[in-house]
Amino acid sequence: MNRVDVFKSVLWTLTGLAVATAITRFIFGLGAVSNLSDSTPWGIWKGLNVVPGIALAAGGFVVTAVIYVLKREEFHRYAKVAVLIAFLGYLSAATALVVELGLPWLVWQPVIYWQFHSALFEVSWCVMLYLGVLLLEFLPVPLEETSWFAGLRRFLTKYKLVLVFLGIMISCLHQSSLGTLFLITPEKLHPLWYSALLPIEFLVSAIAVGPLVVILGVLVICYMYRKEADRKTLSKLAYLGFIVTVIYGLIRFIDLGVNGKLPTIFDGSWQSTVFLIEIALMLVIPIVLLGIRKLRYSQAGLAIACFSAVIGLGLDRANIAGVMLQVPGSHYYPTIYEVFVSLGIVAGAIIVFLFCVEHFKIWDVKWKDPRERAEYCPKFGLASDVWLGSPGVTERVKYSLIFVLSFALGFALMPQDRIESKGVEEITVQKARGGDTLFIDGNLDAFGTLFDHARHVDNLGQKESCIRCHHMNVPLDKESGCWECHSSMYTATDIFRHDWHASPNGAAIACDVCHEPPQERQKASAKKCRDCHVDLYADSTADTLDTYLAMSYVDAMHILCVDCHRWLASADTTRAALAQCPTCHTGSQPDYLKADMRGELRRPAPNHVMMPPAVLQVKEE
Amino acid sequence: MSMAILTDITKCIGCFECVAACKKTNGHEADKPYVFHINDGLSAHNWTSIVQRPDKHFVRKQCRHCLDPACASACPVAALHQTSEGIVIYDSHKCIGCRYCMIACPYGIPRYDWDKPVPYVQKCNMCYERVKHGKQPACTAACPTQATIFGERKELIAEAHRRIKENPGKYINKVFGEFEVGGTSVLYISDIDLGFLSYVAIPGTKALPKTTATAMEAVLPTFFGVGAVMGGLHWLVRRRQKLQRENEESEG
Ligand code: SF4
Ligand code: SF4
Ligand code: SF4
Repeated sequence: MNRVDVFKSVLWTLTGLAVATAITRFIFGLGAVSNLSDSTPWGIWKGLNVVPGIALAAGGFVVTAVIYVLKREEFHRYAKVAVLIAFLGYLSAATALVVELGLPWLVWQPVIYWQFHSALFEVSWCVMLYLGVLLLEFLPVPLEETSWFAGLRRFLTKYKLVLVFLGIMISCLHQSSLGTLFLITPEKLHPLWYSALLPIEFLVSAIAVGPLVVILGVLVICYMYRKEADRKTLSKLAYLGFIVTVIYGLIRFIDLGVNGKLPTIFDGSWQSTVFLIEIALMLVIPIVLLGIRKLRYSQAGLAIACFSAVIGLGLDRANIAGVMLQVPGSHYYPTIYEVFVSLGIVAGAIIVFLFCVEHFKIWDVKWKDPRERAEYCPKFGLASDVWLGSPGVTERVKYSLIFVLSFALGFALMPQDRIESKGVEEITVQKARGGDTLFIDGNLDAFGTLFDHARHVDNLGQKESCIRCHHMNVPLDKESGCWECHSSMYTATDIFRHDWHASPNGAAIACDVCHEPPQERQKASAKKCRDCHVDLYADSTADTLDTYLAMSYVDAMHILCVDCHRWLASADTTRAALAQCPTCHTGSQPDYLKADMRGELRRPAPNHVMMPPAVLQVKEE
Repeated sequence: MSMAILTDITKCIGCFECVAACKKTNGHEADKPYVFHINDGLSAHNWTSIVQRPDKHFVRKQCRHCLDPACASACPVAALHQTSEGIVIYDSHKCIGCRYCMIACPYGIPRYDWDKPVPYVQKCNMCYERVKHGKQPACTAACPTQATIFGERKELIAEAHRRIKENPGKYINKVFGEFEVGGTSVLYISDIDLGFLSYVAIPGTKALPKTTATAMEAVLPTFFGVGAVMGGLHWLVRRRQKLQRENEESEG
């Protein structure tokens, strides 16, 4: 294993995990794998992949502008790398968007439904156009490898300047519009980040860091494939980044100063700490390292400066698009699955990048034929003389295997309970321990009710009245508690135990008894519960249990109360209040609960109205 | 004609009839404690809710139907848009699910079907179908105490001011929603402060879409401006290089 192999194995693993997560997300919805919620509609997919991804891909238009518009020929050798990095950056952002959007198959709809007031409308148009432009800019490189489409290649090369101009114009627009997106949230975005100049700040910082991303890319390839980097041109390019970074720093701090926000930086809140870290990474370290000539020309200085600037810019965008945009009451942190997708998409982009580096003429000297490298010599299995085939094929087999394995692992790791519960907090009902006055608040909304058991016994007629609530199918069944069938607090549960019915240790019922031949043995055609258990239901219920599902505990209990109260209210007009919700849901809690439910209220509002289904009619007596 | 809803907090008894009526009219299923919800009662299945405040104050929360809605100005495909009645409605077939509307709304109103593979944005549409046919919304029709009423915005504002004037000391002297974020169609009068309904206690009177308007108007000029500047630079550089070359040639 060499550097490249190890790195690629990691990349393929991440991609496999991401694909598994993405598939789960498309089948079961966003809530199944992510912690996105009504209070945090945008998570790390937007905050780490889309917004920073687009910013970091700005190198493409900055470098091409320097080369083709300002005619600085010395950078020409890095044009293709810059375009490739930009293309893959946008592609990965677009991929993340596809996973992230609620209805990704409609992602093109801005093309037909126009809305000129929306910054996002403009961004989506620009991103679509620019992806096309980048593709055309890059296309001549792979076409070089084949003799097909020679005409197209010549055409694209000839009109390169047009593409470059288009790219610059479109990029300037959407890099700044990405900042405009957050102008509409003055009340949510932290003041250290919110600024009327956000569009300008976004554009300038993207121009500053764009070239540094390209430099970092070049340095990484050189490290991985053990090549010597051409430090002189790279440092010159870095100097451009340095100048724009200084301009960006000036804009940002003058803006903070003019708006009187400078004291906020040192107020000691965690936001101010994050701000200082961001400034150190994005401004201080790059400015110091790139400002000093000697450091700028050293490989380490250059690498650290670029790396720091890249992380800093990513952090800045992540802060604006997520961390500092949090609303009160949201406690968002990404799930591991969101991290899988986030990393996997970047890993996928890097895999494509490495592929292009190995196979195409990315900077003007073509990479040595990969097959000539030592690590591509014929490979033999552990048994020493089994030839594993031609090197290219072995590679492919190995990475495919890694991908498939991690893909399978990804599926194994999917959160089963989360997917099944569809986001409902799963609570298994326990046997009641009793108590004469119960505070019932099944859905924890603080709109519960104090249930006075003793009073109900008195009012309804002592012992004989037990059956009016417990249990619905007396007198044949005195044993089972409600909780045994209504075993889940909020979701309906399957209560038919096939294994027990069929087992010799259980009821030992032959298949044909329930699945009468000649019908196929299916759930739909099988006997229903009531065909054998004639005493299963209370007379009053119209529910047939044909689905074998017991409704959730809260529904069952609430319907029980509502039924009886409605009936009593209709039977006796002087007690009409019994049928009204606030009679029981008075909004007051017992003292021992008040500590955390009063005042601002732990859960400040009622969440849930359990409407009794219409089929439940109260039986007239 | 701008239609509106006026809710008088002092009259609300917290009976949930409006919530139930809304659920029934819009065919929403029962709500459960989903992990994706904010605990204000609104959710993909609850377009309106009763927020309980200390001392038996019940505050109905619903979309405010802003006069200049941030959600509609944010939506890239105009799925959320305003009707001539001032109602902000949602076209599910246009929506791409970007959820920018949820980010933009200053009241945190739009909710999402997080558990569905084909999710939509969910928010009160002021019963547009009913209003269009000359009926009032289900929630105001259901209210047993007339705490929440429906009418023309101008008349309701006049009515609100009349109630405040005729009952000195009973209300805070302010019609909530008259000027906030450029004015909203859902108005409140109350004896407690309703700042908790929005993300910041005292939302400004500036409509949020105005914050992005300047930048959005600059879009086309920027586009061509950048092109022109770059073209100019390109021409200058080319010219200088040409002159330089000529110089070299004549010298050499
Ligand atoms: S309250 Fe929010 S969702 Fe309703 S119209 Fe205003 S911005 Fe849109
Ligand atoms: S989620 Fe739908 S309605 Fe909301 S802004 Fe995006 S496209 Fe518009
Ligand atoms: S106006 Fe209609 S949709 Fe809106 S809260 Fe009332 S009943 Fe629900």
